[in-house]
Amino acid sequence: MSEKIVVTSIGIISALGQGKNAHVSAFRAQQSGLRNPKHLKSKYADEFVLGEVRLSNDELSELVGLPTGDNGYTRTTLLALAAVQDIVNDAGLALLQSEPTAFINANTVGGMCTVENMYMEFIAPTAPEEYLKYIDTLDCAESTQRITEHFGLNAFSATVSTACSSSANAFIFGARLIKHGIVKRAICGGCDSLSRFTLNGFHSLKNVDKNPSKPFDQNRLGLNLGEGAGYVLLETESSAKERGAHIIAELSGYYNSNDAYHPTAPSPDGSGAYRTMQKAMEMAGIQPEDIGYINAHGTATQSNDSAEGKAIENLFGSNAPYFSSTKPFVGHTLAAAGSLEAIFSMYAMEEQMIIPNLNFETRMEELNISPVASLIENVALKHVLSNSFGFGGNNVSLVFSKP
Amino acid sequence: MEDLKLTLKQQIIDSLNLQGMKPEDIDDNAPLFGEGLGLDSIDSLELMVLLERNYGIKIEDAREGRKILQSVQSMAEYIQEHKKVS
Amino acid sequence: MKQVLYIKSTSAISPQHTFYPEQFLEPLVNSDDNKLRVIDIDYSKYISPVAIRRMSRLLKMGISSGMQSLKDAGISQPDGIITGTSHGSKKDMEQFVQDLIVLKEEALNPTYFIQSTYNSVNGWLAMQSKSTGYNQTYVHRGASFELALFDAWLMLQDAKRPEYYLVGGFDELTDNYFVIKSKIDYWKKENIDSLSLLEHSDTPGTIAGEGAAFFVATNDEKDALCAVPSIKMLQDPDAAAITKALAELLEENGIAIADIDVLLCGMNGDASTQDIYTPITENIDTRTTIATFKQLCGEYETTTGFALWLACQLITRQEIPEVIVHKKGSSNSIKYILLCNHSVFRNVSLTLVKAVK
Repeated sequence: MSEKIVVTSIGIISALGQGKNAHVSAFRAQQSGLRNPKHLKSKYADEFVLGEVRLSNDELSELVGLPTGDNGYTRTTLLALAAVQDIVNDAGLALLQSEPTAFINANTVGGMCTVENMYMEFIAPTAPEEYLKYIDTLDCAESTQRITEHFGLNAFSATVSTACSSSANAFIFGARLIKHGIVKRAICGGCDSLSRFTLNGFHSLKNVDKNPSKPFDQNRLGLNLGEGAGYVLLETESSAKERGAHIIAELSGYYNSNDAYHPTAPSPDGSGAYRTMQKAMEMAGIQPEDIGYINAHGTATQSNDSAEGKAIENLFGSNAPYFSSTKPFVGHTLAAAGSLEAIFSMYAMEEQMIIPNLNFETRMEELNISPVASLIENVALKHVLSNSFGFGGNNVSLVFSKP
Repeated sequence: MEDLKLTLKQQIIDSLNLQGMKPEDIDDNAPLFGEGLGLDSIDSLELMVLLERNYGIKIEDAREGRKILQSVQSMAEYIQEHKKVS
Repeated sequence: MKQVLYIKSTSAISPQHTFYPEQFLEPLVNSDDNKLRVIDIDYSKYISPVAIRRMSRLLKMGISSGMQSLKDAGISQPDGIITGTSHGSKKDMEQFVQDLIVLKEEALNPTYFIQSTYNSVNGWLAMQSKSTGYNQTYVHRGASFELALFDAWLMLQDAKRPEYYLVGGFDELTDNYFVIKSKIDYWKKENIDSLSLLEHSDTPGTIAGEGAAFFVATNDEKDALCAVPSIKMLQDPDAAAITKALAELLEENGIAIADIDVLLCGMNGDASTQDIYTPITENIDTRTTIATFKQLCGEYETTTGFALWLACQLITRQEIPEVIVHKKGSSNSIKYILLCNHSVFRNVSLTLVKAVK
């Protein structure tokens, strides 16, 4: 079956806000959403800038129609509910429930944002009664199950967890399920919330920048963490046209491959990233010169940007397309990164703009190419590429094409 | 300095779980990374944790860390240097 | 006609003697503290000294059974690696969280953080086998392993030549995990002999287990151990949904319920979940032997991996070990095995396993 897979709805929440306008206006204003966190209680709160969603847990709960206070929902789940709600409101719950709709979620640390504050009580002889409802919230599928229950989406669900490439993998699985007739539509994407666990985890790897990150810059110091949730509704082109749905973009190509090099670092020559991008374009039936914009993984770590930069240069040559990392806007949102950045790529294509790579000043010594440092408007984009490269050598590239 | 190096060698063995190794197996000046003991980037981060927990020495920059961690000798010298100052 | 998934090899590390073929479930292992822990094998045969020194038990279990499965299949570089786990390296995650709290966010070990990533087993298996192909990890509670197997089946639908996917499921048991889940009544209140688990089905709770099971899944029938023609995954189904799923499975395969030689059930002695199996057990034919397996491996979310390993053994050996027999049937050969399993989150799966020779 070679039916085209298209995106017909988007739900997104990040440090920039919720929905398309909040994000596109921030891109145009070149205004980052990074700040010292107000909700995350860490000793590093005043030292590190993070991509924190502005809303508190109570505000998120209200947004999705849940009681506020100690309601048994983790921040991770609340973020996911907020984003999925936008898709449900747009496409209509009746449609999503009447025909088999898969929910393919991606997540890396589940309810750790909550559990890390209760862990010592959990392992003590007794724990306060009000903590018990959070005991089963740690794993990645907690948010998935909550969402399928909340919206009554029971046809097929799954949770993917491949570190930073998770939600890009969720897109691929959803597309494949539709192509093979397992489901008619799929809501695909991912969520992660800030936690002391991840902040300290990346800090222990010494690849976190306290200040706004500088992807692809010679003097980059590492990443900023972020949180958020991003989902898309996928279906076949004919199913979208049949119901008169607006088609945002076609998911024309994708590829997942493994570096098989090191538990956390990519192969330094970028060969893993090279192959993944090349194969994704091959699937889309396009040549490198057809790509108008690359949304890079661009975490601003030494190893990622070097490998990814080399891969882009080797694959596209001196005529490399515009490329940028949007992580300086929202931080590295871990499992949500793949979906958020795919969505940003689609926004760029819709708005015919190139989102800038904030904070870029100095080209990397080993590269001849540089990212786009300032906003560019009125660029005719037909095909865009979005990269996500995770721990465990998990590499994913997605190609979106103008409908 | 000799006592420090001996202690340090045992701490390295314990921290990196170098099973079957004893302090006398580690030469003071042997490179810890690359050829010598063949440790990798994650090991270098673990050794920085060792320095922080056992000697109160914080190294923020991973690249700076690799220079200090070249050998047991360079580590011991760095510890002595910074213990004096603090 | 959809492509059938064949199992070319399987390897399991579990609380029983399952890793070495000559020691198939002998001697039987039991416990009396409601915990079944794996029998460790010599992991150094599969993992270099440089790598092994940092590794958690879960990583060692997963990598070793994965590599053995590849070896048994004669495949050095699989086309992809697809796994499922509900909690990954619990021990590493626990260590990092505890240190985070006790050391007040200072001087934390990166190793625990890195290894707590759910796809770390996948990453290592890819490195060891130099497999640059498709690589995916599902972390979806009691459907984690089923999704991995299903995804392999889905990949094989598009295969244009013989393809081989390494598919695995694994979870570990830690003391902290046991303590934490006891607070929400996962386990039996009274200590029982693990082998008598099913005799205690009138009380709530079960016993804890752990394990890793791997398979080489392929579209190539040559030298296959067995076939897996159908997998059905249900989320919190009622009796009607289970009955319907079973009927669909039988119809898709052109068989009747009486054709099932062994019904291998994930009944775990928990009175509150017995009802899941009733729609099947009360309709099963007298030919069918009803067997149970959680008295061997304990309860964890990827037990279907253990059950599938066991089903492969039953088919290739054409024998049913007495220890798993719950109710003997009259069939005297094993062609069809129906696996029926559940998890504490009420993920229910039905998997049909078929002999190919």
